[in-house]
Amino acid sequence: MTTLWDTSGTAVIKALAAERRQAGAVSSGLALTLVAVVDERLVTEAEQAATHAAAQHPCRLLVVVRRRPDAPEPRLDAEVSVGGRLGPGEAIVMRMYGRLALHAESVVLPLLAPDAPVVTWWFGEPPQLIAHDPLGVIAGRRITDATAAADPLAALRARAEDYVPGDTDLSWTRTTLWRSLCASAFDSLTGEVTGLTVAGEASNPSRALLAGWLRSRLDRDVQLEDTDGPGVTGIELVVGGETVRITRNDGRLATLSRSGQPDRVLPLPRRQLGDLLAEELRRLDADDAYAEALGATTGALTVQGARTHLWQDPAEVADPDPALTTS
Amino acid sequence: MTAVRSGNPLRDPRDRRLPRVPEPCALVVFGATGDLSRKKLIPAVYDLANRGLLPPGFVLLGFARRDWGDGEFEQLARQAAQEHARTEFREEVWQRVAEATKFLSGSFDDDAAFDTLATTLLELDASHGTGGNAAFYLSIPPNAFPTVLKQMQRTGMADNRQTDSWRRVVVEKPFGSDLASAVELGDLVDDVFTAQDVFRIDHYLGKETVQNLLALRFANELFEPIWNAHHIDSVQITMAEEGGIGSRAGFYEGVGAARDVLQNHLLQLLALTAMDEPVRFDAESLRTEKRKVLEALTLPKDLAASAVRGQYTQGWLAGQRVKGYQDEEGVQPGSTTETYAALRVDVDTRRWAGVPFYLRTGKRLPRRVTEIGIVFRKAPHLPFSRSDTEELGANQLVVRVQPDEGVTLRFGSKVPGTTMEVRDVSMDFSYGEAFTENSPEAYERLLLDVLLGDASLFPRNEEVEASWRVIDPVEEMWAEGGEPETYRAGEWGPKAADEMLARDGRAWRRP
Repeated sequence: MTTLWDTSGTAVIKALAAERRQAGAVSSGLALTLVAVVDERLVTEAEQAATHAAAQHPCRLLVVVRRRPDAPEPRLDAEVSVGGRLGPGEAIVMRMYGRLALHAESVVLPLLAPDAPVVTWWFGEPPQLIAHDPLGVIAGRRITDATAAADPLAALRARAEDYVPGDTDLSWTRTTLWRSLCASAFDSLTGEVTGLTVAGEASNPSRALLAGWLRSRLDRDVQLEDTDGPGVTGIELVVGGETVRITRNDGRLATLSRSGQPDRVLPLPRRQLGDLLAEELRRLDADDAYAEALGATTGALTVQGARTHLWQDPAEVADPDPALTTS
Repeated sequence: MTAVRSGNPLRDPRDRRLPRVPEPCALVVFGATGDLSRKKLIPAVYDLANRGLLPPGFVLLGFARRDWGDGEFEQLARQAAQEHARTEFREEVWQRVAEATKFLSGSFDDDAAFDTLATTLLELDASHGTGGNAAFYLSIPPNAFPTVLKQMQRTGMADNRQTDSWRRVVVEKPFGSDLASAVELGDLVDDVFTAQDVFRIDHYLGKETVQNLLALRFANELFEPIWNAHHIDSVQITMAEEGGIGSRAGFYEGVGAARDVLQNHLLQLLALTAMDEPVRFDAESLRTEKRKVLEALTLPKDLAASAVRGQYTQGWLAGQRVKGYQDEEGVQPGSTTETYAALRVDVDTRRWAGVPFYLRTGKRLPRRVTEIGIVFRKAPHLPFSRSDTEELGANQLVVRVQPDEGVTLRFGSKVPGTTMEVRDVSMDFSYGEAFTENSPEAYERLLLDVLLGDASLFPRNEEVEASWRVIDPVEEMWAEGGEPETYRAGEWGPKAADEMLARDGRAWRRP
């Protein structure tokens, strides 16, 4: 591991090359570059999740911490490791101070693995507009998390208005196990759909997306039922006179009940961040099913073409984008 | 390759996060307390459960001779999952599997036990919601096959229509011991089950690298144009094991390496290497193309010079002294069973005319490795002087099936310095580096395919028969007399195998 204080991007590149030679990993194949944009107080948690995901998808991990954009002098500190504490791959943690934080891409661009896909992940409050952050513009896939926003449902709406194919949100990833159970149940159901209910915390964006997904696939209204959670707590499907109910009140085990059949208990855990991230890295193409669900959830989907960077100076606007203003 | 379920509005082919989950069903394992079941099947069931790939109405039903109840079998299964599962053992996942684990005690000729099994399968629908569906896994000695199959026929439990659900059967190799016995066994299985419900497991085909061979060949522009006799000099397919026969003498004696490995695994790998592009990537098209290759296989006229069998003698392997085959427990004195077999076959098609396929397999070889080596022709003209290219060999493309899964490309490169010296270098693609650290186990994948009813990765009866047609003349020649060549444990096979290639002006790769 090499730690560099008050350094330059060129020195970081050299340190990475030296670390790679030392580790003997000169010909290692990298599937992708993962850029994690993280707030200082969340760095440890983000590193853990990214390390877990990197174990499944060998990648170059670039952790960007923007600090004190108002600091008078720009400064870069970096920690470079290959096969060290951040998993088997290559990892660089960079702390950028002052105006450099607004030009993070100048350090990140030359560090991207050649010709490999780039995934940018904002851990924490999602950006208002992804185009505000150049690190989002250079990525082929962009991962946000509406759950981390102060108003998650508004954040979801912002995602819909700002949607470009390749965007995805971890609140959507959290619905996968639920959706899988619903789809399995539907395999053996026939007849007209007469009732759909999704229960969960009122502010939970996963509940909203789950309902949106059902609406987009089945073209029917979905009832929302408010509960104390955690997260999504149940789904009820009434199809052809049969009722299938999946309930999960403890965030771990689900009970599947169906008319005329014995109840069954299934593990349906709320997955850890690392698992969610690993699922996101599995496929790097645009997720059309997410776009449809997002559209049905918010009614505000506008699909745009490619993004270009929109310059925003946090010092000059009243309400700066959270993606640029971490501690 | 995907099972198409029409009519489910929640399944969207673009929505690839949703896994393929089978319909509710029971998995009935005959020989549930045996080695294969403990080391591979039960761990695979646990891994599938852990990955959320088993349907809610899933039951694991063990059938074996032991006088056990559900509880004892559950204990054995738990231990098997803890010891051999690929994924982390989680109590809450196991609890769900345990609740749906049943055991039936009985011998294979016990009519009452099979009657109980037939009614149990129907009852499971009411108690666990299996829909009456069942897959039977025959993890039993081949000589017990006919008895078990006849029991299934008698009780009608193999009949899709009679039970108003699907009933499938999984058969492990060996599929017979020669063409005649394979035909007989095939007829019996196809008679009891419908042909498309029979799944013959060749676990090599469940390996990621083998499936990747198809991606490598048919998804790229780079390889297919040169994948023919114009550019390929020869193909070498190797499966080496460092282990001996262990305690399997009872099975191995009289079977030998050619029947145990060459007839199934190696010929399947050959078929995937040599086949033409399938029309679609589905079971029917894939099997049709493989079958075409297997039916086009011919043995050289001078068979004695193109087939070598060997037997290991006492030697040193990985720093340890190991016994010779003749000294292994349970081996008949003077046994002529081969532990090494090498064979040249030709594919009689326009694409492969004149390209020999060398197959070899053996036990007690220096290391465990399976690979497919494509050796290209030398460049027709070299603008360099002879001394410059002395160390330049033929270009090679090597598919490493196991271990260290990946692909290696060998080609010539200039040695740094003032002279123009060209030497072989390798370019490496390693699965472990580019993709997920742990690919699913072959059994995990294949078991899931059985439950989904996807037969792409399972050889069809006609393929098995075509393979026996290749091996039978060799076995007949060996049966006529003579003794296998010997090789010391820890060597790459007998000298005769090296001489066999030397006669063609070639040499074995060192894997």
